[in-house]
Amino acid sequence: MESSWLRALVVLALVVVAGAIFTRKLLLVYRLIRLGAGPVPLAPPGERLRDLVAQVLGHRKVLRRPLAGVLHLFIFWGFLVLLTTIIQAMGEAFSPGWTLPVIGQPPLLAALQDLFIALVLIGVGMALWMRLVSRPRRLEGQDRRGAYLILGFIGGIMITLLLSRAGQIVLESPAWAPGAALSGFVAGAIAGAPRAVVRGVFEVAWWGHLLIILIFLTWIPEGKHLHLITLVPNILLKKARPRGALAPIDIEQAEHLGISSIEHSTWKDMLDAFACMECGRCVEVCPANATGKELDPRRLHTDLRTHLTRVGSARLAGGEAADAPALVGGVFSEAFLWQCLTCGACVEECPAANDHIDKIVGMRRHLVMEEARVPDTMGDALRSLEARGHPFRGAGLSRTAWTAGVEVKTLADGGRAEWLLWVGCASALNERNHGSLRALVRVLQRAGVEAAILGDEEACTGDPARRMGNEYLFQQLAQQNIETLNRYGVRKILTACPHCYNTFKNEYPQFGGQYEVWHHTQLLARLVEERRLAPSEAVPLTVTFHDPCYLGRHNGEYDAPRRVLAAIPGVRTVEMAQCRERGFCCGAGGGLYWVEDRVGQRINHVRTDHATATGAQVVATACPFCMLMLEDGVAAREAKIRPMDVAELLGRSLAGGSAERSGG
Amino acid sequence: MDIIVCLKQVVDPELPARDFAIDPATRRQVREGRPLVLSTYDENALEVALQMKDHQGAKVTALTIAPQATVGDTVRLALAMGADEAVVIDDPRSPELSGPARARMLAAVIRKIGRYDLVLTGCESADLVERLIAPLLAEELGAACVTFVARIDAADGPLVVRRQADEGYHVVEARLPAVLSVTSDEANRPRLPKVKDIVTAKRKPVQIWTPGDLGSMADDGGVEVRDVAIPQRTGKCEFLTGDPAQQAEALALRLRELKLL
Ligand SMILES: Cc1cc2nc3c(=O)[nH]c(=O)nc-3n(C[C@H](O)[C@H](O)[C@H](O)COP(=O)(O)OP(=O)(O)OC[C@H]3O[C@@H](n4cnc5c(N)ncnc54)[C@H](O)[C@@H]3O)c2cc1C
Ligand code: SF4
Ligand code: SF4
Repeated sequence: MESSWLRALVVLALVVVAGAIFTRKLLLVYRLIRLGAGPVPLAPPGERLRDLVAQVLGHRKVLRRPLAGVLHLFIFWGFLVLLTTIIQAMGEAFSPGWTLPVIGQPPLLAALQDLFIALVLIGVGMALWMRLVSRPRRLEGQDRRGAYLILGFIGGIMITLLLSRAGQIVLESPAWAPGAALSGFVAGAIAGAPRAVVRGVFEVAWWGHLLIILIFLTWIPEGKHLHLITLVPNILLKKARPRGALAPIDIEQAEHLGISSIEHSTWKDMLDAFACMECGRCVEVCPANATGKELDPRRLHTDLRTHLTRVGSARLAGGEAADAPALVGGVFSEAFLWQCLTCGACVEECPAANDHIDKIVGMRRHLVMEEARVPDTMGDALRSLEARGHPFRGAGLSRTAWTAGVEVKTLADGGRAEWLLWVGCASALNERNHGSLRALVRVLQRAGVEAAILGDEEACTGDPARRMGNEYLFQQLAQQNIETLNRYGVRKILTACPHCYNTFKNEYPQFGGQYEVWHHTQLLARLVEERRLAPSEAVPLTVTFHDPCYLGRHNGEYDAPRRVLAAIPGVRTVEMAQCRERGFCCGAGGGLYWVEDRVGQRINHVRTDHATATGAQVVATACPFCMLMLEDGVAAREAKIRPMDVAELLGRSLAGGSAERSGG
Repeated sequence: MDIIVCLKQVVDPELPARDFAIDPATRRQVREGRPLVLSTYDENALEVALQMKDHQGAKVTALTIAPQATVGDTVRLALAMGADEAVVIDDPRSPELSGPARARMLAAVIRKIGRYDLVLTGCESADLVERLIAPLLAEELGAACVTFVARIDAADGPLVVRRQADEGYHVVEARLPAVLSVTSDEANRPRLPKVKDIVTAKRKPVQIWTPGDLGSMADDGGVEVRDVAIPQRTGKCEFLTGDPAQQAEALALRLRELKLL
């Protein structure tokens, strides 16, 4: 390429201006993020690096949507590879014949660059196809103009690059030309034109390329393309907490309880908002959104970003954004916040590693603890938790009512056992789950496993209170239970409730309660595999398994219940389309068991339809809440399918009548 | 405006039937080891008082007669919900007192407190359901009385209250001081306390008096409980014999005999 001091000067000036704009905008983002509260404990570095490689270089989550994933992978790797052409062009502008240090400009690199020009162009084509033709639901509500503009930028950058390379081949026959097949092909097409025309094409393309890149650069720190910069730090700054755990707050010391204003959010919440790429994957998997509710996990990030920018910028300038809406009740309505099931589908799916639940529960904490504003029926559950240690108003059952017909010792009566069987309120206080509990106890007894219960000394683990945002009540219950457990020297806890399981395993350690915690399906799978249980009677049923969110997504246990089912002779399993990581909440999570689902379709009815669509005779589950929701869904839909706990199915296949007679 | 709300502590009415027992000596419900809660309608009465406080300002005093050892949570809840102070009459025998005796004692306390414009009670208590206290109290205090109040419509001029009637409302005007018995209503759903208020409630004043502080009182109410029984529900199981057709016939006949068919 010809170079001149003029070209060099203009390039320099443009780069400096664009760089300055870019830096200024980015600095604002940085200062906005710094408005957030800290500190946020971070995960171990190894884990964070592993995530970075998998998610950024490998696009693990992005690739879950094959079309969108592949196109994004093309564009992402294209940009990495084509960074070399940008550096090369800049270098040449200053010093003719300059090449990349070490690598130089061999034909092989030119071939790679051409390959990626082609792949990026294909990627842009696919993206246009999705927006114009296939139109997946998750892209509704995305900033469309921004999306087209960015695709225009990328396409423009590629086409100008291609033309300038072709021009260079015709004009200068550079050494790398033999490798550049695509550019060579375009060069062939323009080679016949007069040299002045070719030169014109080259110059326009070259300057165009540079200009588009620089304009694009100044654009990056706004809107969704900011993820080009924020994504890597967002993944590298992953929080040090198991998925299922919420962060505790120090009620005595805290100046505010929960989030009602941007400065109550952590800087990580803010970084999340700036890392959101508006891909809508969270919206697509959100059961509340899918059933027609207001909740929109993408909007949680985009609206937070807008609000933060507005309020934060004013604050950084020493003032207040006077007419800005309140964060809670304004930017996000109370209905929006109360619709979340804390099911974790969005968190599981988000390629930016954002955490939606923390933000929603944070704002709920403000509503419950500072404003005492909760949906009425949730308030009843909270009052009952406070007065009676369980959230089921009007249950009228004792915690040991289910033991009729089976022999279980309580620790208070001097029962000593390897395991504490933690029953859980949802099981003990709802008759439907009594059969599951008895089946479990019988199966354990068959395997010679000793388990005792706490009986009346059990209180709710506090999971519903914590997810409703009443951290205060949760901590009271947690302390009370930890005291009881430690008084009896309990070390191993077995529970049939994934919510209790999650709370013991991931949250009680925050308050010094360290136990070995097993979910019943994990122990049952182990017992079957160790041949301590021999399911021999055929149970000729087609079964589909519904993943409880707090067993699956929050704790990664998808296999244990399936292994138990696989061990039962006669059982044929079929999967629902939305299973395992993509499992669809039953509708009870996040304390929503206590709220009537009145907006749009009912989540448990929709989930029942998913199960029925498989043609299975039984929908198996391993959670007392899922059981109640599915029973209700089946009744409402008058469906033929029957909800059963995994333990009930296993009980049926043990020779010699482990099964309950009335359990049918 | 000074409002006194009478709060009764009762054994959780939602307790499983298994845990309901009667002490043969006192012929009262056994309270030991049972969770104690605010009597259902008393929470509504407290809510009505707190709404008055929110809307036009009032000083709300929570009053309870109960053995002091068991009273903690009740008083703390009332203070956390927003009552300004509490008065506890520490009387170990209070669960055994008859309605009229309790009304007389409440009246004595209220007279000792001195300043009051309104006294609110629940329309019935969750354990005894005598439905006597408010009228007797009004009688003792020489105050006006309105029962079954759903909400207070106005109190800046004369007191205007809505009283629940069979299929609608009575709007009643009353002079002060007045005793109102409160029923539950959409408008007086008890609020949840804010955590901040739970914490500050621990610092609010609680006065503890004994019955001796109230001066002498005839303390039998003229009635005495002689016997209390828990209804016994018994089940009986009959087996029908024969082949399925005979069983079906026998079943139909039995059901008809029992007038179920
Ligand atoms: C079904 C029904 C029918 C009724 N019919 C009529 C009617 O026909 N005419 C009419 O005028 N009224 C009627 N009433 C209203 C009734 O008269 C009043 O509601 C009555 O005053 C309630 O008092 P009680 O005797 O039930 O007292 P209790 O049940 O003992 O308690 C009532 C209230 O007194 C207070 N209290 C009791 N013990 C204590 C304590 N130890 N410490 C502090 N406070 C305490 C509490 O506020 C409690 O809620 C009816 C009520 C009901 C529920
Ligand atoms: S946790 Fe579940 S319900 Fe809540 S926003 Fe995410 S996907 Fe939706
Ligand atoms: S929050 Fe995550 S999943 Fe949702 S739109 Fe943003 S980047 Fe996509």
